[in-house]
Amino acid sequence: MSYFLTQLANGLSYGLILGLIAVGFVIVFTSTGVLNFAHGSVLLTGAYLVAVLQDPIGFWAAVLVGIAGAALLGVLINAVLVRNLAEANPGTAAILMLGVDILLLTELTRRIGNRVLPIGAPWGADVVTFGGITLPTSRAIAAGLAVVVFGVLWFLFARTGAGVAMRAAAADGDTASLMGIRLTRTGAAGWALAGALAAIAGIFLASFPSPGIAPTLALTAFAAIPAWVLGGFDSVVGAIVGGLIIGVVTALAVGYESDLHFLGRGLGEVVPYAVMILVLLVRPSGLFGRQEAVRV
Amino acid sequence: MPDPILIVDDLAVAYDGAVQALRGVSLRVDTGSVVAVLGSNGAGKTTLLRAISRSLGSVGGAVTAGTIRFEGEDLARRDTSWVVRAGLVQAPEGRRIFRDLTVEENLRAGGYTVRDAAARKEASERVYDLFPILAERRSQRGGLLSGGQQQMLAMGRALMTSPKLLLLDEPSLGLAPQLVEQIGDIIAQIHAQGTSVLLIEQNAAMGLRVADRAYVLEVGAVTAEGSSAELSATDDIRDRYLGVGTSEPAPTAPGEERAETTTGLQRSSTARAQQLRVEDLTVRFGGITALSDVSFTVEAGTIHALIGPNGAGKSTCINVLGGAYRATSGTVHYGDAVLSALPSHRIADLGVARTFQNISLSLEASVEDNLLVGRHRLMRTGTVSQALRLPRARREERAEREAVRRIAALLGIEDLLDRSVHTLSYGDRKRVEMGRALAAEPTLLLLDEPVAGMTHGESTVMADAIRAVQQELGLSVLLVEHDMPFVMGLAERVTVLDFGKHIAEGTPQDVQRDPEVLRAYLGTAAA
Repeated sequence: MSYFLTQLANGLSYGLILGLIAVGFVIVFTSTGVLNFAHGSVLLTGAYLVAVLQDPIGFWAAVLVGIAGAALLGVLINAVLVRNLAEANPGTAAILMLGVDILLLTELTRRIGNRVLPIGAPWGADVVTFGGITLPTSRAIAAGLAVVVFGVLWFLFARTGAGVAMRAAAADGDTASLMGIRLTRTGAAGWALAGALAAIAGIFLASFPSPGIAPTLALTAFAAIPAWVLGGFDSVVGAIVGGLIIGVVTALAVGYESDLHFLGRGLGEVVPYAVMILVLLVRPSGLFGRQEAVRV
Repeated sequence: MPDPILIVDDLAVAYDGAVQALRGVSLRVDTGSVVAVLGSNGAGKTTLLRAISRSLGSVGGAVTAGTIRFEGEDLARRDTSWVVRAGLVQAPEGRRIFRDLTVEENLRAGGYTVRDAAARKEASERVYDLFPILAERRSQRGGLLSGGQQQMLAMGRALMTSPKLLLLDEPSLGLAPQLVEQIGDIIAQIHAQGTSVLLIEQNAAMGLRVADRAYVLEVGAVTAEGSSAELSATDDIRDRYLGVGTSEPAPTAPGEERAETTTGLQRSSTARAQQLRVEDLTVRFGGITALSDVSFTVEAGTIHALIGPNGAGKSTCINVLGGAYRATSGTVHYGDAVLSALPSHRIADLGVARTFQNISLSLEASVEDNLLVGRHRLMRTGTVSQALRLPRARREERAEREAVRRIAALLGIEDLLDRSVHTLSYGDRKRVEMGRALAAEPTLLLLDEPVAGMTHGESTVMADAIRAVQQELGLSVLLVEHDMPFVMGLAERVTVLDFGKHIAEGTPQDVQRDPEVLRAYLGTAAA
């Protein structure tokens, strides 16, 4: 029982981290209509900044620089590349982002090489135990912090003028601009938020039990794509719930792999996509996606 | 003379650098006045408002000449955000409220540029005073409001910045007569609170009632201007925009080519109109009952109208007849066939054609191609012979293009055949839809708001066209429409729905006197 609970807690905390990433996908998509396939390398950039700066300037200052750096990178990608696209064609933008991803990833791989950079977090490899459940401290902190971040996001989008303006711009940009809302600003804010969330997620993904930062970290961001899609592309709540589902299912599949050997090995990598396909079969627009019902 | 708040001087606007939408338009709005702009479809009214609110860019338009001054300030180098902050706000055509945001959040988005929280609160109090229904529904999502409430929300949202000048684009579009009256009263109230208003309105009676001055815009240029009283008195305006009275059938206006419209259309088959019987039709969506036990009969070869307030279930009814929605219970017979059991392409094969309330055309394709799609059911040559351009296919194509041209001529869209649909105005798109439905040579034509967004003159032309095809081709017509002069002048029988229930039926004269109908739908204007 405690083994199950441990796996479940692991899954939930991992799911919350995936949720941070998936929410970034959603916010970029709703604020600028871009499927941001460069999200993984933005995440890696944030984590990389923390790893190389933690020695000279200290961990916490490095965290601030990493978050700000990833946010700024997002804003730059939007300002230099996305806004200059002649036509708002989601296909063109998505391919463009794949290109950006490859460029950034190649440069970061060159810098990191074969090394695995330690993130240098003060929680190190500690674990916490309560009620028979053992969880890495980093994961416990990640879960708590993610919940706080989601609370802040809720407050931002539901209670502040800027947040409501972002939602209005996402719903109908043309009309929102008639209200005096500047779409360039809501777009930049979206990319900045997504970048910051990705950097936070990156720091925890590089913490124990992971050994540190390697270029493969960028691929972990892709594990959040099924979470994003099954939550319904344009729903922040959906992305969070999607992250939790994928996190728990992955943790359980890995934790019980020996009992599931008839399904073969490496189940943890396949299972997020299998869950996504199953959900989409039942609910084609995702769990929380806007119903594409067209009134005739 | 009072100070002008807005001066438009010699304005020209072009789309995609080619299509000239406005030419030499000059207009002024005095501080504290209401100015209406009348004009037929495609005259450039929405373009004018977009030029003033600096929002042409997103639709591919650009000012090519002339100036716009707001309180003396040239707007040439200003963007939408700047003009909103300066006190000039546009409420867009078609309401365009944020459906997933609550009423309160919609207003919040409207007041985005107001930095001062106290001013914002005061503005929202004023909006709630003006529209008490919005206060009642403040935490409801915008998409759940009825059409009239959505229009109020769109206006309230624009008022959140406490603008000096409010631009309203077709606030009465698609609203029932009693709501149109109410919107007119609200505009008068907004004006009384000190806001200047520039109003585009297809319902000229309402527009001229609330406006001090009016301009008439035709094909991109101003053709008449004056005080509302002067303009209301001119014959031209009366014929083309006002009609006579709101509750009587429009009499034949002398000099207009309406007495003998001949269609020049012929049926390529011997199909005949049949009787349409709707029996105990009920439609539910989830827990909402859109239609409940509705029965009526459209006799073969007659024009039958379906009227009622917004949300009464009229479009739902058309959608069931055309096969887009399934009936929950009840049956629809067309002659011997049971329509309610057939998929939509089989219904089309029986000779039933329809138009859509929210227009459903191929936007990138030309008008001619859109109309040719309607002929699909009648074409006999196969895909292969068409692809190989065999003589038979070429002959058929020539014949079909000729048929399409006759239909276009009948509807007055002959000059638009080569234009792609996305460059057309709302009303012209309505006509293309009607043309596509006619191109299928139907025996039963279902029309959902065929003259929404048209001037009185244009709807008269449309009525003549419908009457002509009905008589010469002997088809039945079932139409849904809010334009009462149009309905009462055209329909032989009228069925009235309210909240999904059949509340009255009879000749136009009977229905207009029915107290139940007056209460639910027509309001005092027709009493």
